Amino acid sequence: MEDYKFLFKIVLIGNAGVGKTCLVRRFTQGLFPPGQGATIGVDFMIKTVDVDGDKVKLQIWDTAGQERFRSITQSYYRSAHALILVYDVTSRESFDCLPEWLKEIEQYANQQVITVLVGNKIDLTSQREVPPETGLQFAQANNMAFLEASAKEAENVETVFMDLARELTKNARKYLLRNTETVDPNITEITGETTNISYGGCCGSG
Amino acid sequence: MAAATSTGSFTREEIENLTELEDIQTAYDQLCSDEKEVTEQLDSLLDQQPTLEGKMSTLHRMGPNLQLLQQDSEQLASMISFTCQLAENVSSKVRQLDLAKSRVQAAIQRADDILDLKFCTDGVQTALQSGNYEQAAAHIHRYLSLDEKVLKQSIPDAKEGSGIEHSLELLHKAEQELKVIINKEFDEAVANKDATAVDRFFKIFPLIGLRDEGLKKFTAYLCSQIANTSEQNLQIAIGTTSTERRANVVYADTLTHLFEGIARLVETHQPLVETYYGPGRMLTLMTELQKECDRQARRVVDAFIKNRAYQKKAQQVQQCMMGRTGTEKPDPKELDTLLAEVTLINSRAELYLRFFRRRVTADFEVQYQEEDRRKDKLSELDRLVRTCGLSLCVQELTGDYILMEEYFLREMIMKAVSMDIMEDGSLTSSMVDDIFFILKKCIKRAMSSSNVDLVCAMLNHATTILEQDFCEVLYGRLRQGFPSGFLDFTQAVNLMQSTIQQRKITSDSTEDTKTAFLATLNNAEACSENILLLKASLEDECSRHFPQAGEQGKAKLDSCLSDLASLSHRFKNMLQEGLAELDSSAIKPQVKPWVATFHSFSHNISEEEFTNYEANDPFIENFVVNLQSLLDSFKGSLSPTIYDQLISHLTNQVTHQLERAVMKTVFNRLGGLQFDKELRALVGYLTSVTQWTIRDKFARLTQMATILNMERVGEILDYWGPNSGPLTWRLTPAEVRQVLALRVDFRSEDINRLKL
Repeated sequence: MEDYKFLFKIVLIGNAGVGKTCLVRRFTQGLFPPGQGATIGVDFMIKTVDVDGDKVKLQIWDTAGQERFRSITQSYYRSAHALILVYDVTSRESFDCLPEWLKEIEQYANQQVITVLVGNKIDLTSQREVPPETGLQFAQANNMAFLEASAKEAENVETVFMDLARELTKNARKYLLRNTETVDPNITEITGETTNISYGGCCGSG
Repeated sequence: MAAATSTGSFTREEIENLTELEDIQTAYDQLCSDEKEVTEQLDSLLDQQPTLEGKMSTLHRMGPNLQLLQQDSEQLASMISFTCQLAENVSSKVRQLDLAKSRVQAAIQRADDILDLKFCTDGVQTALQSGNYEQAAAHIHRYLSLDEKVLKQSIPDAKEGSGIEHSLELLHKAEQELKVIINKEFDEAVANKDATAVDRFFKIFPLIGLRDEGLKKFTAYLCSQIANTSEQNLQIAIGTTSTERRANVVYADTLTHLFEGIARLVETHQPLVETYYGPGRMLTLMTELQKECDRQARRVVDAFIKNRAYQKKAQQVQQCMMGRTGTEKPDPKELDTLLAEVTLINSRAELYLRFFRRRVTADFEVQYQEEDRRKDKLSELDRLVRTCGLSLCVQELTGDYILMEEYFLREMIMKAVSMDIMEDGSLTSSMVDDIFFILKKCIKRAMSSSNVDLVCAMLNHATTILEQDFCEVLYGRLRQGFPSGFLDFTQAVNLMQSTIQQRKITSDSTEDTKTAFLATLNNAEACSENILLLKASLEDECSRHFPQAGEQGKAKLDSCLSDLASLSHRFKNMLQEGLAELDSSAIKPQVKPWVATFHSFSHNISEEEFTNYEANDPFIENFVVNLQSLLDSFKGSLSPTIYDQLISHLTNQVTHQLERAVMKTVFNRLGGLQFDKELRALVGYLTSVTQWTIRDKFARLTQMATILNMERVGEILDYWGPNSGPLTWRLTPAEVRQVLALRVDFRSEDINRLKL
């Protein structure tokens, strides 16, 4: 068994070609592979990071943006702890599709999911079509954190993922605390080092 | 004087100035020792003299030798330079010879070439006339391998040269002529569907320098063959009646024929291409073939979508899942066959693309020796395979497939729930087996597609359906609660009143609710175990279906599978919650009044009463009988593990209640003995009915009995603190005093005096 305290699933979504794969590659491998082909189905990467002394394993699911893979990618929403919704600041179209993505999230993701909005490709300043304020307004109106980033220049990429990791860890610690207080003394569950927080699985309905 | 003594050696002047005897004595001693030292030094120098002399004489003898040596070496140097010159002379001649030889060879070569040229010129004409195109092509090939410019230069004589020019011109003309003929003949052979002739002319193209064109024409020919066969197969497929044997998978079969046809073409023609066109041509060939394959596959898939109403069904499913009413519900049975065909299409395409990849990769291994170049080429191939029209078709089908398979799974599970019955002799109800059968069927079907993403998506959906929909069903049943069957009078009255107000509950429906509740507990346990079994069996399947899934694919499958397996915990928790509910609704209300009777007879008893109790037991026999009948009412309806857990809950209740009862009772020595007997009987009984050890739960009561059995207050010290030995006290010092105080014959001063 690997030595980590928490495991979180992060799913990246957004239109095709907005740079989801590049963001993931930049974060997990420190690379910016030019001429990246379209993702087929779902790609899967793992990176273990340190959050205030705790080892946190991030399971990053990089989904294909193309419509025909939608039914594959939708199946990953529900177990996601966090969603990163990506658009391309040089493509108004990718921004205009955001409401559709929010609808998907509402339909398939669990209630507690954390969503971050990321505007990618800010290195292409001359081609920008979506100003930062527009992105920020949209994020605020829909209760999301917002960041602009560039996978190519490695700008804000680390921040996006690490902010998420910190937020998720904070929530998970709270959840653990709350659960150990109210736990039924008759049920002693032997759990190992690692804690897999499952939002759907808290015992509420009995 | 002081200075003289301190230095240790004396000058003559100093000595002469010495006046004191003592100083003179010292100076004398000093001088003596100096003398001795000097003598020693002289001796040692003299000793060295003969050695030095020996060495000198040796040196003298070596003088003449040195001269000799110098002369010899000068001689040697001159000899070497002479030899060197000689060698230089010889080799230059050899070089000249070599040069001459190579020129002669070139001359011969050129003469040969000219002869060949003439031979070719003549040969081509005759070969062309006699229709022996292989021969003609061979001549042209030979001619093409000659360097025309050099030939022209090598013959300055105008008269001779014109002959060569003429030959070259003739050959050039013949080449053009042959090219036209071969092209024409090839086209004719294709038009006549003459496979032998096609092969024949195909082999000639590379000889006359038309490699690329030949390959292009040939692949076009192969493509047209593919198109023809595929068209015929598709027409047959469309004409198939639904009663034929493989009617349900006829489109998958048509695609299979297409793929097999291409594979067969490649199998037969690859050696031909490699022999006549050299290695490194497979990518070009396969890419061209793939274009035709994409076109044909698209036509078959389009026909499939149209004639099976694939998209229409997918849309219906989508509408149903969005909860829109009024839309026609697709028939799961129809979906079942449709889905099976899609997975077949998926797996056939996957198999074919694997064949494609393997063939080209093997060709790369031969062609590209350098690692980097090969990697580039491989990623080019990868992109080609991933983005080819066939892959696109399959991806589109897969999208709708997942939608429909999810719907199918959910519908079938809900159907199993709605048709749920308890069969005699079974602890779980029918839906558990049904649901896991469906799960296994659907996921295995998904796996047969050989598509990792598709399987992962279905695993995710299965997890969601179990966790959201099915857990809700079970929780719903648990929430109905467990109606208490053993009613005492007050409870009965209360229940009567409440039922009169609400609705009439017949004893039958109470019994049913009870059975349903217990079955749900068994179901939860069975689900928790079945999920682990399902995971193990799917893992097995995975390693069979995806031996070449790669690290990525395996990691994805593992992650999705372990998400599914984690549901096992969820069902276990459900079981625990159910047991807690059973405890509070069926066990606690029963046990409480039974234990209460413990008060109703005295434990402050005489010898006579004690004997009397032995004959006519006042409490414990009845209590055990009650427990027995309570447990018996559950034993047949719960799985052994849950039954044991229930006993554990029961034991907790009994010990808890009994402790409280004891604390409200007074004892004397004999009463303590009586209690000890009762407790032993109780522990004995409960131990006999469970696999688990329950003695530990009785630790506090047993310790109370020990205290109540003491002769005097101070006896406790034999068991307390350092004297406790292996015994761990579960009672606090305050509780020990409390228990001691229950004995009427113990004085409270003695108890208070105790140091615990």
